[in-house]
Amino acid sequence: MILLYDLSEENLELCSLEPGEEIYYCLPLDIDLRGDYQSDSYVVMTDRRLMVLKNNELAVNLSLEECDSIHCEPQIACGLLFVQKDGKDVLLGRYTAKHLTRYSYLARGMMILKSGRKDRVVSHEYEKSCPKCGWAMPGTRVCPHCSGSRRGYFKDYVSMVKPYMGQMAAIIVLMFVSALIGLLSPMVQRYLVDDLLIAEGRTYGDAVPCLLAMLALSLGVIFVNTGKNYLCARLGSYISQGLRRQVFEKVQKLSLSFIMDRKPGELMNRIVRDTGRIKDFCSEVFCNMFTIVISFIFVLAYMLTMNWKLAILAFVFVPVSVGLSIGWRKKIRRRYRRQGVKDDKLHSRLQDVISGMAVVKSYGQETKEAENFDLAAEEFAQIERGNETFFAVFFPILTFLLGLGSYLVTFFGGRATLLGDMTPGELMQFVTYSGMLYGYVGWISNMPRHLMNLITSMERISDVMNQELTIYDGDNAVDLDIQGEVEFRHASFGYKSYQPVLDNISLKVKKGEMIGLVGASGAGKSTMINLIMHLYEIDDGELLIDGVDIRNISLEKFHSQIGVVLQENFLFAGTIYNNIRFAKQDATYEEIIRAAKMANAHDFICQTPDGYNTYVGEHGYNLSGGERQRIAIARAILSNPRLLILDEATASLDTESEYLIQKALERLTKGRTTFAIAHRLSTLKDADRLVVIDDHHIAEMGSHDELMAQKGIYYGLVQAQLQMQKGG
Amino acid sequence: MSGTGVGHGPEGPGGHGPGGPGGRGQGGPKGPGGRGPGAGEFEDFQLSQMEKETEEMLRVRYLNDENAVFERTGTGFLSLRVGEEFYPRVVVVRMFPFSDKDEFISIRTAEERSREIGIVEKMSQVSGETARMLEEQLTLRYFTPVIEKIIKIKDEYGFAYWNVVTDHGACNFTIRMGGNSVIHLSDVRILIMDIDENRFEIPDINRLTPAERKKLDLFL
Repeated sequence: MILLYDLSEENLELCSLEPGEEIYYCLPLDIDLRGDYQSDSYVVMTDRRLMVLKNNELAVNLSLEECDSIHCEPQIACGLLFVQKDGKDVLLGRYTAKHLTRYSYLARGMMILKSGRKDRVVSHEYEKSCPKCGWAMPGTRVCPHCSGSRRGYFKDYVSMVKPYMGQMAAIIVLMFVSALIGLLSPMVQRYLVDDLLIAEGRTYGDAVPCLLAMLALSLGVIFVNTGKNYLCARLGSYISQGLRRQVFEKVQKLSLSFIMDRKPGELMNRIVRDTGRIKDFCSEVFCNMFTIVISFIFVLAYMLTMNWKLAILAFVFVPVSVGLSIGWRKKIRRRYRRQGVKDDKLHSRLQDVISGMAVVKSYGQETKEAENFDLAAEEFAQIERGNETFFAVFFPILTFLLGLGSYLVTFFGGRATLLGDMTPGELMQFVTYSGMLYGYVGWISNMPRHLMNLITSMERISDVMNQELTIYDGDNAVDLDIQGEVEFRHASFGYKSYQPVLDNISLKVKKGEMIGLVGASGAGKSTMINLIMHLYEIDDGELLIDGVDIRNISLEKFHSQIGVVLQENFLFAGTIYNNIRFAKQDATYEEIIRAAKMANAHDFICQTPDGYNTYVGEHGYNLSGGERQRIAIARAILSNPRLLILDEATASLDTESEYLIQKALERLTKGRTTFAIAHRLSTLKDADRLVVIDDHHIAEMGSHDELMAQKGIYYGLVQAQLQMQKGG
Repeated sequence: MSGTGVGHGPEGPGGHGPGGPGGRGQGGPKGPGGRGPGAGEFEDFQLSQMEKETEEMLRVRYLNDENAVFERTGTGFLSLRVGEEFYPRVVVVRMFPFSDKDEFISIRTAEERSREIGIVEKMSQVSGETARMLEEQLTLRYFTPVIEKIIKIKDEYGFAYWNVVTDHGACNFTIRMGGNSVIHLSDVRILIMDIDENRFEIPDINRLTPAERKKLDLFL
């Protein structure tokens, strides 16, 4: 992301840089305080000064020492830049949402400069639209539009098809054969009419071979086309299967932030629907492409040589019919798109109400909801009615107009035949060919749309495939056997970089230590854990595991040494056995039973109807929250992790299961570096140290006794909980 | 991100507890294991502090010309004096920005975990000068240009490129096709969100020319 915009000569002059002074950041102030768009206003930060240039004037000129701090405050779809100076907030300028992120970097950059360091803040985020051509960038570093990779999609398609060259060759041969047969049968018909039916002195017996040939051709067409379609469909499904696998593997490797940025439905669509579209292209378009192009050329040439005047007459109608069918398609698509939108609305309305039925019923809102639904249904029905009527009225008219060419050909051709310029057989062949011609033209005029669909899908797929991994094993990634030492060094992180969740965190955790993380919800406890699990990359600072930067530790090896127990534990559809051994696929029965026993899970598992083979997950055996929890603990125990993470592991449990789980956790945490989050502070009584996170920082740190004696935030929280228990 | 931190009105120590209700008149609470001498006194203080905060949070205080004095800071912001309390910078927020933008204006402290100081019920109920000052702050906070003219909309490869004239000047922006880029606030009023999360509004689509409507059709 650009943090240093180019300044014009005049603007640069306005800054009148001192010798040795260097511009560090330069960002546009693209709206003024009233909101009017500005094209020539900038904030310039050098290693000494902060300046605002407004319409060829140096409006603000402050030395960095004068400013206590700089703030870039996000507003609603815009942001404000102000400094704090002499205890007052001084407003300097305003910018649109396009620059929100940039300004957060500016603020961070200034604090670094003020502290005397000369480092530049570098943003690894991608631009949303290309600074050169203005096109939206599909989450890639280089603009596919500028770099010209868009033109490469057909090449991509060919390269996808390449491994299946044998099948391709067979398909192409079949396409030729199919075209040949299609062109041959009108010829045989002509022969039948001219040389057998009208000709004098022919008997029934003479016609038989010809009729047999026609039968053979009809059967041949069926066989060839069936074979061709079968091969194409098979090729399509091979290709889409291969793609699906690639896309899925890539999605799994991408960082959580990429996945969280998108709706789950969107990614599912890319894996399922877009790859499906590519298959459709194979089986519907590609497989007919050659047949039609060859036939088209042949028919065209043949008609011209047979009777060029008549042929031209037939062609005159080609542009008309193309225009008509394109116009029609546009119209109809627009109408059906609107219908689709209403349909979606109706569906989501219905889904909303059905999934919220308990709320609707308990508030007695059935009548109102029924009315709302009626309204949406009526809207949809109205549009649907309109569209159906439109279709019913105009489609026959369109068909008639498209057929007009054939009528003309028949009329003039019939006249020529009567005058003796053409034989009846020739007329028949000619009329058949012109019918075919119109069909092909219709099909070819559809091509751009098919190609467009293909390109859009390919693009969405390559958007995922080209996405650069933010978290990956670097070249110097090491397989580290973790001892369990964790250290944050001036670490900062935010899910959106302009909203820091953790700011300048420093914390050193010894091997085997248990850390309790405490703080209000949203303070950043879970975020800290996400960072330790390396699901996200920290923005600034360092995170060290056993003294090694977490970025240099190979991911798979690292993750295999972490155990996680969450509040809501996800059990995959499968047996209890499979769920426990999820982290260690080669575990023996005995290991699994031992782990289950340690997790206090063995006894209840034995009481389920199918023991360890009991099917859980969706539509499976119903486990209570506590039981799920204990299975998750067993899973963690089995993997024998060096680093253990407990995120609200005992919340929302009844007292008895909480006791059982506490006991299980005690066994689990022994000797392992543990990070635990709990709202119920009594759960953290065994922690060696408690870390209180407040306002993005570590506010307090120490043992329970130490923090109680401090009478700070932790003390307040403990008191509040005691009060709630008593008064509740 | 603001954290101006200079004398922000009255705020007690340890204002961090999740002020849970209850616990009224339960007598002196005891710390686990009764730690530390003199804890009882402090606990009582804590408790009353928490109750006070809860009550303060639940209170709805209306601000008007009698009880509140707004003043421009001279550096672009607004300060407020309510009785004894003085706030060097307040944030002005609409509670119903779409349905009633001139009613129920929340006046809040400028800290990140901002707290409500009071509510201006109707802009028409305060003096013209106060209303103007509040309006200035609202203008700073909300940026939603109104589209007055649609020159061109081109949709290509999953994005739509708009070229429009707004009440704040001419502008180009890009939205994602499909998804939630176009929000219907009512049958005729739409809100458009571009890829940078900028907002644009069309208050009444019926006021557009037929040609502009046609360009917009794809999104309705």
